[in-house]
Amino acid sequence: MRSLQYDVVIVGGGPAGLAAALKAREKAERVAILERNDELGGILNQCIHNGFGLHVFKEELTGPEYAQRYIDMVAETDIGCYLETMVLDITPNRQIIAMNPEGMLIIEAGAVVLAMGCRERTRSQIRIPGTRPAGVFTAGLAQRYMNMENFRPGNRAVILGSGDIGLIMARRMTLEGIKVLGVYELMPYANGLLRNIKNCLEDFDIPLHLSMAVTRIIGQKRLQAVEVSAVDENLKPIPGTEEVIPCDTLLLSVGLIPENELSRQAGVELSPVTSGPVVDEKLQTSVPGIFACGNVLHVHDLVDQVTLEAEDAGSSAAAYACRTQSEDAQAAVSRQVPETEVRPEGLVRYTVPSRISTAADSATIKFRVARPVDSGRLLITSGSQVLYETKKPKIFIPSIMENIKIRPSSISDPSAAVTVTVVES
Amino acid sequence: MKYDVVIIGGGITGTAIAHCLAQYQLKTILLEEGTDVAFRATKQNGAVCHPGYDPHPGTLKAKLNPPGARMYPRLARELGFKIRNTGTLVVAYSDRDLKKVDELMDNARINGVEQVERLNQEQLRNREPHINKDALGALLARSTNMVDAFEVAIAFMENAMQNGTDLGLNQQVRKIEKRAEEDFLIHTQDRVYETRFIINAAGIHADDVAAMAGIHEYKMQGRHGNLCVMDKVLPIHTVMFPCPGPATKGIALIPTVSGNFILGSTATMRDDKYDTSNDAPGIEDLIRGAKLLLPEFDPRCIIRTFAGQRPVCLDNDNDFYIRESESCKGFIHAAGIQSPGIGAAPGVAEYVRDILADAGCDLKPRPDYDPYREPVPDFSDMSLEEKDEMIKKDPAWGKIVCRCETVPEGEIIAAIRQPLGARTVEGVKRRCRAGMGRCQGGFCQFRVMHILARELGIPEEEVRFEERDAQVLYGRLKGMR
Repeated sequence: MRSLQYDVVIVGGGPAGLAAALKAREKAERVAILERNDELGGILNQCIHNGFGLHVFKEELTGPEYAQRYIDMVAETDIGCYLETMVLDITPNRQIIAMNPEGMLIIEAGAVVLAMGCRERTRSQIRIPGTRPAGVFTAGLAQRYMNMENFRPGNRAVILGSGDIGLIMARRMTLEGIKVLGVYELMPYANGLLRNIKNCLEDFDIPLHLSMAVTRIIGQKRLQAVEVSAVDENLKPIPGTEEVIPCDTLLLSVGLIPENELSRQAGVELSPVTSGPVVDEKLQTSVPGIFACGNVLHVHDLVDQVTLEAEDAGSSAAAYACRTQSEDAQAAVSRQVPETEVRPEGLVRYTVPSRISTAADSATIKFRVARPVDSGRLLITSGSQVLYETKKPKIFIPSIMENIKIRPSSISDPSAAVTVTVVES
Repeated sequence: MKYDVVIIGGGITGTAIAHCLAQYQLKTILLEEGTDVAFRATKQNGAVCHPGYDPHPGTLKAKLNPPGARMYPRLARELGFKIRNTGTLVVAYSDRDLKKVDELMDNARINGVEQVERLNQEQLRNREPHINKDALGALLARSTNMVDAFEVAIAFMENAMQNGTDLGLNQQVRKIEKRAEEDFLIHTQDRVYETRFIINAAGIHADDVAAMAGIHEYKMQGRHGNLCVMDKVLPIHTVMFPCPGPATKGIALIPTVSGNFILGSTATMRDDKYDTSNDAPGIEDLIRGAKLLLPEFDPRCIIRTFAGQRPVCLDNDNDFYIRESESCKGFIHAAGIQSPGIGAAPGVAEYVRDILADAGCDLKPRPDYDPYREPVPDFSDMSLEEKDEMIKKDPAWGKIVCRCETVPEGEIIAAIRQPLGARTVEGVKRRCRAGMGRCQGGFCQFRVMHILARELGIPEEEVRFEERDAQVLYGRLKGMR
C-alpha cells in the first residue's frame, strides 16, 4: 500500500477538478487530481457538440476541445494526475483511501476539493411502470455508446425529458439516421436552454410535447413501444389520454443528481433540495478543509460556470491548506464572527452558498427559481436592510442559474438571515 | 442423450434439487428455458429465507420450510453464498394483530421453529427505534436469514455441475412422450432427452409441462407482486412485516445481504401469468406499506422497481404440490412453490429425493462428491490489505468498472469464467452487482458490454441484455474504428 501526502487533493478530473487544481496550484506546492477514468476531462469527452467556452474563452468550442485546453494547462504544471484511480473513502480529517491498477493508496490531504460531478436519474427513480426490456437508456449512456464507442443504440426513439442532454441527443440521433419520434416533457415548459430547443428540435422538425409523461414501458426482450399520457396540473396522468407509440429505444433525460456518496462518508452535511453539500461563500462544506464545486455541489447549465466556481473552490482550498500560523489564528478569530444563513424564499428554490461569513468582503449568491416567472424582481435582504435589488423587472426560468455578487461585510445585523426572493410584478 | 433424471426448471427449487441429487451416482440434467438459472420468480421476490413460523401446521410448507431454513448456514459455508442473519419482526398495530401474533407463536412452536418470541412496545422500539409509534408489539423470529435467491440458485447449480450434473440453458421443453418401457422422451426446440424420471420444477409453467405428459392434476396461476429496491440508507436492521393477510405476508421492509433494502410485495391475481410488468398503483401501495412501518420513509431512496409472479397451485389451499403423479409414474411434481420457497428449497429438495427413492430410483452415494464451491471473490468485502494483494496479483482487480457498487474488472471476468458463468448484462449484474446500484448501469453498462464481448469472443452487438433475443446495440455507426 502506498502512502502519499498533498496540500490539496481534488477528487474528480472533469472540468471542475481541472480548474480547481490549476487555481489551487497557484498558491499550494503539492496538488493532485484523482480521476477514476483512464483520461481527464470527465463527461466533456463525450459531448462532441459545440457551445462550450463562450464565457471563459469568448469562442465556441466542443466539449473535448474545452477539456483539452485545461488538460494541456495541467500538463504544464507539476500537478499529480492519478488516472484509473477510484476513491473509496474520505475521512473527516482528510485521509483518502483510493485504489488503482497498481494497488491501494492512502493519501493525507491538507485540503480536499470534491469535484465528482453528477449522475443521471433512471427510470426507476421516476418510477415508470411496465416491463424491463433492453432499449431503455439514460441519455448520457446512449451518448457514450454513439460518440465514444461508435455503436447504434436503436432505430426508432422516444425521448423523455427536455433537459439539455435529451435535446442534444435528439439531434445527434437524427444525424445518425435514427428516427426520433418526439421529446416528451412532464412540465408545462421545456427544461433545456432555449438555444438547444431551437438548434436541436426546431431545426430538425422534432416535436416537443409538453405536459406529457411516459406511463408504461412495453416489451419483454427489446423495447416494443411506450405508452404516453397527458398530465394534469398536479403532474398526474389523465386517464383516457393514453397513446401507444411503437419504438425500440427510450432515452431518459429526466434530471441529474449530484454524486455525494463520498461526501456523505466524509460526514459532509447535504442539502435536501440540491442533494449537494451545504457550503459557505468560500465553498467550504460543513467539514473544515473539505470544499466542493461543480455539479457535485449543484447542477449547472454551462461548463463555463463550473470552471469559474471551481476556481473559487481551488483557491479557497489552497488558502486553507497553506495557511500560516498567524493566518490560522486570524481564521480562528473570524470564525467567532457569526455566520449568517442565506435562505431562499418564495419562488427561489435554493441558493448556493447557504451560509456566509459577515467578515467576507464579497460573496457570489447563485440561485434558481422553482417555476418560470415572466416578469419579476430579485430582492436580497438582511432584516430590513436591502443588499441587492434588480432595477428593472426581468424573466426568471428554472433552467437558468442566476449569479449575484453581494458584500457580506456591509451587513449591519449578522443575526438576521439573508433572504433571497423573486417578487412577481 | 440419456439421463436417469431430468429436472425441468432452473429456479431455486430446480437448482436445489440438482444440488441435492448431485451427491448420488445419477446422470442428471437440468433444463432451463432462460439464458440463465434463477430467471423468473427466483429473481423476482423479497429474498427472505423464512424460518417457518408462518405456514399452517399440517401443510407441506410447515413440514419443509423449517428444516430447509435450518440448512442455510451450513450451505452458505459450503457453497460460498452470502447470508445475513437479520431476524423478522411481525408488527402488530391492534388487538386483533396481537392475537395474530399469538397464533403465529403457536404455529412456530408446532412447526418446531426456535428463537421466536413476543416483544412488547418498549422492546420493539429498543430494537428498531424508527418504527411507527403506533406499533403495539411484535413477533420476533431471530433465526430469519437473508440471502440473494439468485446467488443461491447459481451456487446450487455450480456445485451440482462440478459434481457431474449437466445444465441445458435456452432449452424450452415443447413435448414429452411417455414410452412403454418406463421412460420418457423430452423434446426441446432443438434437442431430445431420454430419461427415466422427470422432476417438474417449472414454476408458473408447471401445469403446462405436466399437460405435455398428459397430466392435468392442477392449474397454475400467478399472484403478481410489485417490489422496489432501495439505496443503502434506511435506519432498520430487521426484516419487518405487518401482520399477515389471508394469502400473503403483507408489504415488508427487508434489509438485504448487500446492504440495500427491498420493499415488497403487493399481491394481486393476474390473468396473464407471464406478465411481470409493474404498475403505478402497486408502487403507490408499496410506498404506503413502507410508511406504515417506517413513517420517515422517503420514496426518493428507491433505485429500482420490479415485479414477479408467485407460482400458485390452484385448489391446493395455497400449499406446495410435491408428489409423484398418480397417473404417470416416474413424473414428479415440485409445483406451487411460492413463499416460503427460498427457505424451504433445501427441504423440498430432500423431500423430492425421498419421493424419487420410493419411486424406485437407486440412490448410491457418489464417492468423490465435493460439497464445496469456490465463489467469485467479493472485492467490496475485502480488507484494504486483501484488496492491495489482489490488485498486485492481477491489475484487472484495480480497475473499477461499476462505481456505485465498487466492482472491479477482475471480479466481472471471474463471474464470466465461473462454471456457470455470466452470459448477459443482467447475468453479470446478478453475479457481482455491476449495474445493481443507484445509477443502474448508466456509467458501467458499456464497460460490462465490452468485457462480455471480449471474454465470450463475440462482437458487442451480439451481447444480450437478458433474454435470448434482447439486443442492446445495432451495429457500428461508422465503418471505421
